[in-house]
Amino acid sequence: MTKTLTFKVIMCLLVPLLLSGCLGGGTEINDLEIVVGMGVDKDKDTGKILLTAQIVREGEIGSNSGNGGGQNAKAFWNVTATGDTIFDAIREMTHKTGNRLFVSHNHVVIYGYNIAEEGLQEHIDFFLRSHEMRPTAFILIAECDVSAVLDAKPETEELPAMNIAKLLKSHGYTSHFIEVNLKDFISCLMSPTTSPVAPIVEVTPGEESEDIYISGMAIFKNDKMVGKLNKEETRGLLWVKGKIKSGVLLVPSPGKQGKIALEILEAKTKVTPKMENGKIVMDVNIKVDTSLAEQATIENMTTLPGFEKMQKIQEEVIKHEIMAAFEKSKELKADIFGFGEMLHKKYSSKWNAIKDNWDDIYPDIVLNIDVKAEIKKADLLVKAPVPG
Amino acid sequence: MPNADKQDNNNEPLSSSLKKNLETIKSVFNASSDLSVHEFNFGHDRRFKAALVFLSTLADKGEIHKNILQPLMYGTLLLNKDAALDFTNIETIKTNLISTMDCRKISLIKDLTDSLLSGATVLLVDGSGEGLVVESINRKDRNIEEPGTEAVVRGPREGFTENVSVSIALIRRKIKDKDLCVEKFVIGEKSKTEVYIVYLQSIVNPKLIDEIRARLNRIKIDAVLESGYIEQFIEDAPYSIFPTVSNSEKPDKVVAKILEGRVAILADNTPFVLAVPMLFIESFQSSEDYYSRPFLSSIMRFIRFLAYIISTLGPAIYVALTVFHQELIPTQLLISIAEGRNRVPFPAVLEAFLMLFTFDILREAGVRLPKTVGQTVGIVGAIVLGQASVEAGLISPIMVIVVSTTAIASFAVPSQADSGTVLRYIYLFLAAFAGGFGVIMGLLITLVHLSSLRSFGTPYLWPVVPLNLPAMKDVFIRMPLWTLSKRPQAIIWQDYDSNRQSPDLMPSPYNDGNTG
Repeated sequence: MTKTLTFKVIMCLLVPLLLSGCLGGGTEINDLEIVVGMGVDKDKDTGKILLTAQIVREGEIGSNSGNGGGQNAKAFWNVTATGDTIFDAIREMTHKTGNRLFVSHNHVVIYGYNIAEEGLQEHIDFFLRSHEMRPTAFILIAECDVSAVLDAKPETEELPAMNIAKLLKSHGYTSHFIEVNLKDFISCLMSPTTSPVAPIVEVTPGEESEDIYISGMAIFKNDKMVGKLNKEETRGLLWVKGKIKSGVLLVPSPGKQGKIALEILEAKTKVTPKMENGKIVMDVNIKVDTSLAEQATIENMTTLPGFEKMQKIQEEVIKHEIMAAFEKSKELKADIFGFGEMLHKKYSSKWNAIKDNWDDIYPDIVLNIDVKAEIKKADLLVKAPVPG
Repeated sequence: MPNADKQDNNNEPLSSSLKKNLETIKSVFNASSDLSVHEFNFGHDRRFKAALVFLSTLADKGEIHKNILQPLMYGTLLLNKDAALDFTNIETIKTNLISTMDCRKISLIKDLTDSLLSGATVLLVDGSGEGLVVESINRKDRNIEEPGTEAVVRGPREGFTENVSVSIALIRRKIKDKDLCVEKFVIGEKSKTEVYIVYLQSIVNPKLIDEIRARLNRIKIDAVLESGYIEQFIEDAPYSIFPTVSNSEKPDKVVAKILEGRVAILADNTPFVLAVPMLFIESFQSSEDYYSRPFLSSIMRFIRFLAYIISTLGPAIYVALTVFHQELIPTQLLISIAEGRNRVPFPAVLEAFLMLFTFDILREAGVRLPKTVGQTVGIVGAIVLGQASVEAGLISPIMVIVVSTTAIASFAVPSQADSGTVLRYIYLFLAAFAGGFGVIMGLLITLVHLSSLRSFGTPYLWPVVPLNLPAMKDVFIRMPLWTLSKRPQAIIWQDYDSNRQSPDLMPSPYNDGNTG
């Protein structure tokens, strides 16, 4: 190697390293306070923001579940601080923690009921602006105190926040609620027509521990919470949005003797907006495959006429769920289905005429629901085990 | 200056006086105590005075007695008075009396001393200005054994020995071709080590041979104690941490390289044979890859690449992730790591450095110690040190896992172990300094350096850089042998003899044409 080449190589090495400006910028894991969940509430006395951050106490993690000796030691520490803004409160927390809060692993952001009703706009900016925060963190609305949700000690998980994240990811088993992350919430929030929804979390006291429970979905009008969807209505919303993964459809048996549980195997939705004579019609086509999961009746359902009857009833049940959700949204004038966006895409030229009074137009939309249900199988039994 | 006198003596011709010759020899050897001079008379009337000169430590006395002394003293020819031959003529003795083939005439003192030093015996006859050199070296050689460094499950178990002629014989036994050339060099002012280059005349690139000859001829050193001496005087990139000359103890491996157009360089007194040019990819190829079927071989090759990456980057990536990029670690894992590091008082890089350093000490100690004690070092190191340091809270358990994985991985690619160890420390330093950015910079510079390397004209990263698709059949995967019909083009650099087998060798069951 010649001298100039050596020089060039050394410069290539040094210049980017020295110019990068991130030298020595690392932080040892010991010096981090890992935040897994955050709660935003309003301080009742001062009206300031009351921020709760769930910090992992690493030392207690293994020992708790391992030998069962340290039952009393919690694996987390909920730090609270008040501030005028969220960032203000986060930095205020270092007065208690001593270390910088590391929010990259924040999985859930829980807003208090009060704050949700007053409007989330001013409390959501930080969570998307901060380079450390993940826009995929889930957003939730707490029916009770935010700190109570983050304090509830679940049975199997050691960290309440991780438990909530796990609960949200399990939505596919029932399709009674849906996970909403910050990014999706904000994109609905910023849409001129679509109303965002967010799951509602509740704490029900158990005997030794408290259960964290997702009870339904909150409906927002702009950034303010205006109402709730119950489980049935939520599923109505998910049918239209095509986000049904699986779940249990309870239908009355054709002979009205008992209930039949059908498992949703696959569901496909197609929504086609139409404008007919100034009237807006939404064609909702749904194709559902289900299987007979359980029957609480002695009737023999596994016959061709039996299947056909069940399919009919099932279609009605689904239609009913959708209509329930639609009625609720009409009542609140909140376009939770995103119909406005669909119209905008298809009738972009006519959209300008509608968009300003969308709230008045929305309740007049006609929903034309067409459900094609098919029962694919009856699993291992043909006839129900009936006493001989 | 007496030294200068001796130098002069060396180039002088032998005198016709036996007495004078013997005095010269004794003074040349500084009256060394293993210089043996046996003076005797022979001929039917014992009128010829003669002397046998040899180094008693090198020469085989039985051979001398049987092949030289006995014929000279008791040969039937000598008893015949009528056939009075003139034994002052060395040629007469050579053709009529000596019963071994390895003999030649010399007439210079220098040749005489050289022959003595290589274990030969010299017969000097009074009245003759010439001497007869008879080979009589007594070599106590190690048997051909399985080499300790390159054990195989399948494949020949023999290894080269310290005797270079045995080593060449091992090669010749595998390539029975008249094109196999063996060229001799003598390197080392003092050691006069025999160095041979072995190649296949019909395959090898003639320019490569010229280059090797030139590089070998310019070596002027005292001694060649091991082929490593030669390696370090002929390599292309002496400042690079990557070796550009490969070495092996296994004849099958060296023969495979010769058959691909490479040149083997054998030095006497060492079982390690060099081969040039070397490609980076050779470090990841094992002879067993070709002896076993291609499927497992391809997986093993992938594992070797992975192991090399782990062994160089393992600690660096761990440090970069835990110190700079904690957001990239899955939450549960991050919590586990944080849990393990809870009581550790050192920064992660110091922790990693301490562990790597300890590992290198353990390895070095284990290699040098006798086998029985070596096991103790392993136990003390692995169990006592490892476990105790974790329990004492000095080292986190995850770091122990990272370093031990790194250590194990470093043994998977032995021929790049040197470069791997150096790179490991460099990358670790860069990771501690600038995180993932530093590691990427380090990798980039390594890549640029590797691409700029050449070994005896062959690009080091060939066939990956520059890309040669036909040769890629034997890089990341090992295709079946019957598809590898071309010799590596970058080593031979000529087209006329690049086919090593016919291209239609794919085996198939017997087909009589009727099964259609």
